[in-house]
Amino acid sequence: MSEPKYDVVIVGSGASGGAVAYMLCSAGYKVAVLEKGRLIKREEFSKDEIAYVRRDIVTPNLFEEYHTIEERVGGKWVTTPTYASGWSFWNGSIVGGSSNLMSGMLHRMHPDDFRLKSKYGDIAGANVVDWAMGYEELEPYYTLAEELVGISGKFQKHPFEPPRSTADFPQPPTDENGVVKLLDKCCHTLGIQPLVTPRAVLSQDKGERHACYYSNFCGSYGCSSGAKGSAREAFLKPALATGNLTLMTHTHVKQLYAGKKEVEHALVINTITGKERKIYAKLFVVAAQAHESARLLLNSANPYHPLGLANSSGEVGKNLIFSAGGSGQGELHQERLKEIKFDDLMHRGLFVNRSILDWYFVDHWWEGKFKGGLVEFMFEHQNIIARVCKKNEEAGRLVWGKALGERLVKRFTTHKSIRFEVFNDWLPTDNCFVTLDPTHKDKYGMPVGKLRLEGHPHDLKVGEYLAEKCEKILKEMGAENIYSSISSSPPQNLVAGGCRFGDDPKTSVLNKQCQTHDVSNLFVADASFMPTGGSVPYTWTIYANALRVGDHIVNRLKQK
Amino acid sequence: MQRRNFLILGSLVGLSAYTRGETVLFEKKRVKEIEQTIRAVQEHLFPKGSHLPSARDMDVTSYLFHAINHSCYDKEIRAFVIEGAKVLQTREKGHFTLLCEAEKERALRSYEETDDGKRWLEHIMVLTMEGMFGDPIYGANREASGWKALHTKGGEPRPKSRYIEL
Repeated sequence: MSEPKYDVVIVGSGASGGAVAYMLCSAGYKVAVLEKGRLIKREEFSKDEIAYVRRDIVTPNLFEEYHTIEERVGGKWVTTPTYASGWSFWNGSIVGGSSNLMSGMLHRMHPDDFRLKSKYGDIAGANVVDWAMGYEELEPYYTLAEELVGISGKFQKHPFEPPRSTADFPQPPTDENGVVKLLDKCCHTLGIQPLVTPRAVLSQDKGERHACYYSNFCGSYGCSSGAKGSAREAFLKPALATGNLTLMTHTHVKQLYAGKKEVEHALVINTITGKERKIYAKLFVVAAQAHESARLLLNSANPYHPLGLANSSGEVGKNLIFSAGGSGQGELHQERLKEIKFDDLMHRGLFVNRSILDWYFVDHWWEGKFKGGLVEFMFEHQNIIARVCKKNEEAGRLVWGKALGERLVKRFTTHKSIRFEVFNDWLPTDNCFVTLDPTHKDKYGMPVGKLRLEGHPHDLKVGEYLAEKCEKILKEMGAENIYSSISSSPPQNLVAGGCRFGDDPKTSVLNKQCQTHDVSNLFVADASFMPTGGSVPYTWTIYANALRVGDHIVNRLKQK
Repeated sequence: MQRRNFLILGSLVGLSAYTRGETVLFEKKRVKEIEQTIRAVQEHLFPKGSHLPSARDMDVTSYLFHAINHSCYDKEIRAFVIEGAKVLQTREKGHFTLLCEAEKERALRSYEETDDGKRWLEHIMVLTMEGMFGDPIYGANREASGWKALHTKGGEPRPKSRYIEL
């Protein structure tokens, strides 16, 4: 008996897979979403630090599934499997993917992010190109995502704030800690304009999703009220409600099989039983997160597609990008606190909710003209175990016994750390890409992804420029023990590129609609399409573009 | 080396019940010694009379062994935790648990001078703090007294099962 043939099979249930599924199911098409992980329902999520933060509960065991990472050490490229380093490049292998675990600080990219090369020209050693579309083409989908996800915020005029087609956000900002009074005042003193952070967290009920209850533990954890706008809450649950979505969990896609022109089936394995089967559809959408999407295409090579699926250009996996930057923080101590009461500072759960866009584009007579970035302010993550475990050394020796007790009680009761995160462009280069490892295989017998990782020196300069500005803000706030760390080591959860979109099939993998140039019924809907990443977290752009791709696929299916 | 580790780990999870009776007894004794050594170290690092609950009152040793024997724990670190305890025993000629507190301090500070010793102590410290400050469902943060000592508390909702019922 042959299996049912779906209109569309989507590989991956994260931000992009969920958004595409929503568009297709809402339009009446039969969709199968294939997710290698399990479903964790809203009511199952908890704030268990050991499970969610300190163990690989929502990501694969690195001894069974891993990547190999190639980094330059002493002038030579050295490869290390992630099971040996512990540096996992999995980001939430559960229904809804890593969107379940995000902090939800969302920003649109600026119109000039779509034409970075035109604005700034070439940078030596970087493969910067303009996007195949402009901001105006994505704007309606940014707005749609804002409504469907339920992004809370407050529009404020700023020279670098992207234009919007609606007056304001659908929900007011989430509640804020009293520290914003101090932060705002200090920014104004320094001539800086702080902005309210748009956040994919509901401040008010939305349908059967409930408003944020300010748990104090948001990022890294699933949301128990439905307030966080994960793909599971915002897209997959409504898609399931249409009756058109078949959600297959524990279903890992090993390969896509394509004839000369079209993909015919996905070869999948049940991760519990080990049983393999083929799933057929008219059209296939890959949405497995950038590095894994490229790996799947490369692992799908066959005599018709000897270099890998959709890889006649040889571009699959190339120009992988991340979010460059880093972070810093300082301590606000009770005895020297200005402007606000200590009790207000220590109030649990409320957000800092402040972003700074002032240095998104720098054009200064002394500092020069270059693309800068975004800065987010927040409290240090409130994870208790993480906070007790850090900095317990003195003069190279561990602190223990009674001295440790005094130290920890003081840490938790006399000050609170405020933190900033810097987001700037990770320039695409020839030394940041994913390919197949020639020797290492996962537990299903498929070659693992091998990631060569190297940042462009320009990224560090920009990050350091921004961090220096932020340290001045912390100093003005009266913070102590201020430090920052800008690194060329990529954040594994902010990954994009690897299947660039463009008009030329010789230099890009996807066309403007994120359909592969080579295979007519194959789309890549995640962040793989991005030739540059902007200087903001990718999630809102991923949601928006996936809605755009979904819309295009609906129109195409209607025409057929 | 791998086989030796396998025997140690196997005994912890009950696999060595298939081996001969003498070996079982020998391994049980070794495991007990390792457990006693780690317990003594934890009690020295987290003594009574501190601002924090003591290791003894919280039974963080049971947590540590449950944690390292769980399928989601890094098996190489698990082996290192066990091997590190044996090294400490050997360094102190098998008498670490019998030493007075001042002598234990000397022994641990001396062990800390070595790279492996420092790394091992860091793992013991982290595993102990996981138990003491993790969710009470894991058994060691009794009546949330670890959180209370720091004037804090974990997030809601609290877990209904350990490791989200793998």
